Amino acid sequence: MTALSAVALTEPVTEPRYRLLRDSGLVAGRYLRVLRMNPGRLIYPLVQPIVLLVLFTSVFGKLAVSGHQGSGAYREFLIPGIIIQNAVLTAPIAGLALLRDAGSGLADRFRSLPMSRPAVLIGRLAYDAMLFAIQAMLLIATAFGLGLSVRTGPAGVVAIALIAVVFGASVSVASAWLALMIGDIETAERVMYFPAIALNFVSSAFAPVPYLAAWMQPIARVNPVTAAADLVRSLAAGGAAARPAVMLGCWVLALAVVPGTLAVRRWQSAA
Amino acid sequence: MTQSATAAPTDAAVDVVDVAKNFGAVIALRGVNLTVPAGTLTALLGPNGAGKTTLVRILATLTRPDRGRVRVLGLDVTDDPARVRAKIGLTGQYVGLDEALTGRDNLVLIGRLAGLAHRQARSRAADLAELLGVADALGRPVRTYSGGMRRRLDLAASLMTNPPLIVLDEPTTGLDPASRQQLWEALAGLRAAGTTMLLTTQYLEEADRFADMVHVLSRGVIIASGTPARLKCLVAGRVAEIRLDRPDDAGAAVSVLARKVALTARAEPGSGRLTMPADVGVDTLLSAAAVLRAGGIAIADLGLRQPSLDEAFLALTGAATAAASRDRP
Repeated sequence: MTALSAVALTEPVTEPRYRLLRDSGLVAGRYLRVLRMNPGRLIYPLVQPIVLLVLFTSVFGKLAVSGHQGSGAYREFLIPGIIIQNAVLTAPIAGLALLRDAGSGLADRFRSLPMSRPAVLIGRLAYDAMLFAIQAMLLIATAFGLGLSVRTGPAGVVAIALIAVVFGASVSVASAWLALMIGDIETAERVMYFPAIALNFVSSAFAPVPYLAAWMQPIARVNPVTAAADLVRSLAAGGAAARPAVMLGCWVLALAVVPGTLAVRRWQSAA
Repeated sequence: MTQSATAAPTDAAVDVVDVAKNFGAVIALRGVNLTVPAGTLTALLGPNGAGKTTLVRILATLTRPDRGRVRVLGLDVTDDPARVRAKIGLTGQYVGLDEALTGRDNLVLIGRLAGLAHRQARSRAADLAELLGVADALGRPVRTYSGGMRRRLDLAASLMTNPPLIVLDEPTTGLDPASRQQLWEALAGLRAAGTTMLLTTQYLEEADRFADMVHVLSRGVIIASGTPARLKCLVAGRVAEIRLDRPDDAGAAVSVLARKVALTARAEPGSGRLTMPADVGVDTLLSAAAVLRAGGIAIADLGLRQPSLDEAFLALTGAATAAASRDRP
């Protein structure tokens, strides 16, 4: 035991280049390893969206939406909404995971390492983006079985999955900031799903905006969930994509930069 | 280099000057001065709430001081936290490991985040695990480890880059005597290899046996500093002790001594051990024994001895507490 000097490093520790990318990859790798050792953790986030999709379309699928023809009209409207609302409902997982880490000894270890500060958040987001991607593929595959058709072809399908991933990741950033602001894990577990549910209902996810209560409509029009759901609808059924695309782009950028910066700062000072 | 004019002397690994820190209304540190010479093992001793953890967190760049300057290996922790982080290893009060990962995955992850290449991190992890006695458990998730193994793996994690300074916050708290011994042997090995260490502890006998220097922290200030031997002398040269046959006699013995030979003795509850100020000479001790025997109190043992660091610690922090309550309006 007194021979510790024998393993003293002879090579100097070099400052790695591209630290942010490298460290983010290492953090994402950490979550992947944990997942590999506990594959059961995947069951809930992968099975729950499929079950919800099947239940929603089975219950509401035959409703008619005025202005649309045929009994499958609402189904066509609903499926893109379900894909997007699922991303919003999954996002709190990222915030809760970061909050759980923030108070642990491991967080103090990370904070005392010469690693990139934003890597803790970005690595987690990269991991969640993978989760969103798997979810989106499963959801779209199931949705095809339930009658979804994508008129823009395979490129459209890829685009829909990409929208779910990018939008989900940006909401995850907001969830990270919110969770670290709340600070207490038990409170966060209860509170975090409220804004997610509200965001989903006050949007065009389940019903066209003109069908919503009057007070909801102004909020629903600027809600990023509306932008994302409408963009997916326009890719699936055709129609104007420019307006929802621009709005979604602005939202994603704003969510990534503002809550992202605040969350990283919050992580560093949380103790 | 313009820095060299203000840099701390090269033999100081840590230089703390007038550091204060409040958390709202709670005053954690109220002006701490401390120097840790390079290559030494320095212990920070203090009761719960004395400010030990706050000071450690400031050194490790986890908390910013409200006032004062802290230099670690010549670098200012407030101005240059990133470079300080590259030079320190922190073993915090709570084990800094991912419970769900294996020991090896933890060490490799932490080593790589600290800047090591993958291959480098793996071989370093294997070497450290071997030396700290956790090699057999490296492939198991940390949640299956015992408390002692966790602590040793955590120490290995902070040694991954072989930092010149290790800061340890109560590394032996909650360990059984054998695990504590193993950890201390590892630390002694590190010191032999030239690593500077600052650690906090509540176990006074540990500081007594292993530390080069001891600083006693109480209510956010250092109230005494020195080698363990010197600290003991600070309180009193020696302690006179009388051990009674029957512990129940302690109360009676204290009053007899006060009345007959004007001695203020302290009785340790339950043990039948009486201690007196060290300036008591052998003659006084013998006459004390005589009056006790005359009073029908049987004596098992008596003598003069060095005070333990516990006694030094209690005397020092007790004096500080008394002074603080006198200061109060």
